Amino acid sequence: MEKTIIVCLMLFLPAFAMVISLTVQKRNNEARGHGHGIGHRHGSWMAIDYFAFSSKLRRWNATFKLAFTLVIIFLCIGLNNAFVSAVIIVSMFYMVVAVGGLSTRDYISVLSIPIAFILISVIAIIVDFSKLPVGDFRIFIGFGYLYSSISMLFNGLRLMLKIIAAVSALQFMILTTPPSEVILVIRKMHVPNKFADLMNMIYRYIFILLDAFSKMKDAAEARLGYRDFKTFCRTFGGTAGNVLVLSLKKAEAYYDAMESRCYDGELLFLEEEKKISLRTIISATLFIFYLLLIWFFTK
Amino acid sequence: MKNSILKVENLQYIYGNGKMALDDVSVEIYEGERIAVLGANGSGKSTFFLNLNGVYTPSHGRITYRGKTLEKKNLTELRKNIGIVFQDADNQIIASSVMAEVSFGPMNLRLTKEEVLKRVNEALIYMSLKGFEERPPHYLSGGEKKRVSIADIIAMKSEVMIFDEPTASLDPANALMLEEVMQKLGNENKTLIISTHDVDFTYRWAQRVIVFCNGKIIADGTPLDIFKNKEVLKQSNLKQPAMLQVYEMLVEKGLLKDTKEYPKSTEEFNELLDIMKNN
Repeated sequence: MEKTIIVCLMLFLPAFAMVISLTVQKRNNEARGHGHGIGHRHGSWMAIDYFAFSSKLRRWNATFKLAFTLVIIFLCIGLNNAFVSAVIIVSMFYMVVAVGGLSTRDYISVLSIPIAFILISVIAIIVDFSKLPVGDFRIFIGFGYLYSSISMLFNGLRLMLKIIAAVSALQFMILTTPPSEVILVIRKMHVPNKFADLMNMIYRYIFILLDAFSKMKDAAEARLGYRDFKTFCRTFGGTAGNVLVLSLKKAEAYYDAMESRCYDGELLFLEEEKKISLRTIISATLFIFYLLLIWFFTK
Repeated sequence: MKNSILKVENLQYIYGNGKMALDDVSVEIYEGERIAVLGANGSGKSTFFLNLNGVYTPSHGRITYRGKTLEKKNLTELRKNIGIVFQDADNQIIASSVMAEVSFGPMNLRLTKEEVLKRVNEALIYMSLKGFEERPPHYLSGGEKKRVSIADIIAMKSEVMIFDEPTASLDPANALMLEEVMQKLGNENKTLIISTHDVDFTYRWAQRVIVFCNGKIIADGTPLDIFKNKEVLKQSNLKQPAMLQVYEMLVEKGLLKDTKEYPKSTEEFNELLDIMKNN
């Protein structure tokens, strides 16, 4: 009986998330007027970056957060237990929203992007096709049956929870750690320096080029550049081409500026690691034990 | 006697496309000078600065820093002592936090971590950027970005600081802030070279004016000499500073005695009027 209630609640959670995120998206679209595809992506990218920057959990040590996230993801996949997954989903939500200070709406809005993909793929797992009337539920579609069974549904549910839990754990890191700190950790993990340098430059460049693009887009829009599909294509092509030329020019200007500050092939920055408090480590360890305990009692 | 810091002799620079950007430029820069570089867009100011800093290698000519001729092997030494604040801060800021950005120069000088930290802190306090350490550059306003780009160079403790059109695209409040920083740096006996289109600022602030036109230096002298030289002004499309015009008009109309004490700012002009009233 209890299991059924929990399962019902579990089922309810993603549906709830979908409904909320849809309303959020609708509201955003209304606020933004008619948004073109790229405009929306632009907004959401910036939003995620901003959430990480403004999270209260940013004070935490990035290496610790990364390690914690990885352990959680491994546990989630390794234990393969619906209850563990459910606890992870709820606690990650709690960490980011209650401790980190992100609004529930924003959290679910960000989570809704992977959830949409997860739901679509889960459908392919819980529904199968057969010429014979098998399974617990089925629909006749002329030449055969689309069917499903209780065990398939449970399987799908467990899988879905597992994926959402892993994604939440990842999201915990993404929404609380600015990319520059993640790059710092990657550098410390002895990944070749060139990669870390590249990541740094790319991260900085994304904003510069997005900015340039949105300015050009606005300027084109002010001159009716997007009035119909044909003009849209032409304008978009022109803008994209200009952004390419601009990026080359900027690269040159950048290089000059770097050279004038004695750059000689290695991007060196002073970045200070944040301290880890003993309390955080203990709580994290306790949490991991708690997950193992749940797994032990429900396996 | 003033000590020479930089000596540029017969500098010539030709771009890859064959366009001559600098043509036989010779100039000597002394310790603690406040120099304004004037000239139309594309007259070679920025190219000149990048040559001074060793980013561009001159096609012809020689640059001497404190008696040492600039070569490949002492390039770092030159760049350490000549800092450029670029016109567009977005072309200069490369790191993803203010702290990391300001530390880039000192880190490249291979200083110890403590020294870097000390310099970064000093530079941030100097530009009143305390509390911005963790901020990514894309969440800074235009004025804040400019301040970061200046802090970049302050942290390197360069002897000569070059500002390439620092007031471009700044609002009045930030332009005022910038002028205060210039005054402060000037008082600390730093050698400052600023390219600008603002003749009033030049007149108030500079000790020496260099005018570029089509890759050549067409005039080099005190602000007063330059702005009274109609020929130079016409050739380089410059206006006379408002203060100078007003003063000359008053003298011409006989309202003011020509004392040759030119007021450079509205405050000085006010004092002049007070003296006149009391007489």
